Amino acid sequence: MRTSFAAFWRRNLALANLGIVTNLEYRFNFIIDAFIQPILTVGIEVLLWLAIFKTAEHAQIGGFNRESYLAYAVWAPFLGRITISWMYESMMAEEVASGSINTILSRPISFFEYYLSQMIGYKLITTLFSMMVPVAVSIYFKLPIFYERLPITLLLVTYYLVLVHIMSFLVSILGFYLTRVRSFTILKNLTLMLLSGELVPIDLMPKSLEKLFLFLPFSSGVYIPLAYLSGRGDFELLKTGFFNVTWAIAVLGLFSIIFWKRGVRQYTGTGA
Amino acid sequence: MGSVIETENLGRVYKTYSKKEGILNSLKGFYDRKYIEKVALKDATLKIEAGKIVGLVGSNGAGKTTLLKILSGLIYPTSGTATVLGYKPWDRDNEFLKQVSILLGQKNQLWWDITPRDSYSLLTKIYDLDTNVARARVNELAHLLNCTQVLDTQLRRLSLGERMKMEIIGSLLHAPKVLFLDEPTIGLDIVAQSAIRDFLERYVKEYQPAIILTSHYMDDIAQLADQLLLISKGQIVYDGTVEHFMTTSDLKKKLIYRLKNSTEEKEKLFNSQELPMVLAEMAGAGEVADIKVEEVDFEDVIRSFLAKESSTR
Repeated sequence: MRTSFAAFWRRNLALANLGIVTNLEYRFNFIIDAFIQPILTVGIEVLLWLAIFKTAEHAQIGGFNRESYLAYAVWAPFLGRITISWMYESMMAEEVASGSINTILSRPISFFEYYLSQMIGYKLITTLFSMMVPVAVSIYFKLPIFYERLPITLLLVTYYLVLVHIMSFLVSILGFYLTRVRSFTILKNLTLMLLSGELVPIDLMPKSLEKLFLFLPFSSGVYIPLAYLSGRGDFELLKTGFFNVTWAIAVLGLFSIIFWKRGVRQYTGTGA
Repeated sequence: MGSVIETENLGRVYKTYSKKEGILNSLKGFYDRKYIEKVALKDATLKIEAGKIVGLVGSNGAGKTTLLKILSGLIYPTSGTATVLGYKPWDRDNEFLKQVSILLGQKNQLWWDITPRDSYSLLTKIYDLDTNVARARVNELAHLLNCTQVLDTQLRRLSLGERMKMEIIGSLLHAPKVLFLDEPTIGLDIVAQSAIRDFLERYVKEYQPAIILTSHYMDDIAQLADQLLLISKGQIVYDGTVEHFMTTSDLKKKLIYRLKNSTEEKEKLFNSQELPMVLAEMAGAGEVADIKVEEVDFEDVIRSFLAKESSTR
């Protein structure tokens, strides 16, 4: 008799594999997603910051030099793409709204686990490819990146991804009550882009906002990992990131359990 | 043999938002919504034994799918109790889910972008089955359904009939003790329908699961069902065998006639006492070109029953 722990891993590795295989099935979509989009985003950011510093009167803006900004501009979209969930959140919300969640509900697997494993599989494969872009640009421009810090940085980002998935889970649960929840996905993701520091480095914000944003767990998605990776922040900051994500997972995880139990009680199994 | 499914006064009420047409009423719906309650299932009490196929028949919206969804654990009831294999279905205990299966004929339950064999491999892990046993079972079921040649083709590239066979294998992979089949032959041609019926008949004889089957094709029910449940307006109005249902029906004969200068055949079901009246009605319709009288079959009686139920809504 296999242990349930072994069964858990077998099942989740198989689901991660499904996330990879399904996305590789559509080759052009994958190439655009993993290569073209990162190249375009990084290209635009690099050109913008090069232009700004070319016309700037000082070698530094807000206390940071050109290389620091370029490092942020190149790596922030990369980390931001890992830590945002458009596709899987939309799929989850659609499952609830259309009733196709029935297939998952009738099997011995949780809806949360089913999509988390697939998303991690998908993120893993796209990240492996899309990481080549910021690494190549960083080497070319000799940007201040501490590559030996990359593994632990990506560990924090992956941990943060669990928090993001809990939020996606909460948004999709709203579908039990409201059916259409796309506007919540857009609102949530735009807010996260701001709070995570993907749009503007948090240390360039007014002190009161910087304090608030660093207290919130969302800075652990982009700002804190990138600050650590580029030397703007130390190991203490990284530890704060892990801590913040942990308490957020505990709080939002509790909410998601409560709302899930209530949601399925009033679910009508539409479309079956 | 003991009951594997038991329900008592099971009921489900849906609350829906009632909206009148037009933009103004849509705007009004922002602050003043009128909700109405619809009884989908009422006081359903039944017992089902292992090794039996139960045909669940009713018109659209009669409550068939609601009953299936409650018994398979997809939705909660609003009243009454039910146990399936000793479990409360809506608790969705993993041990319960490993012993039941639901196949929704109008929905894909396997994965669209991968091959059925890959889907079965994934299901093997989800249900925590022994890999070799599961592989052998896939081969056996595919052989019985005569579809071994498409196991390695992506689901999206298969015909509807092939896809349904793949779905059936997927739903039986973990050897469920209770199987809910909602319209398993919908949209299939006669040959595919017949193949699936024959397969289910053999499967139940060999493995003895309890099956609840809904279908709009009465041939499915007539050929397969040991027990017939007729459901109307959320209530079970008949629970017995198909044969008994036929004997209790007062409709025994079917008059089929065609009027002169018409290609359309008309049908009239009747009992022995109604013969003079039916003949008079036919004669009054015009000059008759062709006429025959047949024994009614199951489909005729069910159709008449459902039409009567719909007209009294």
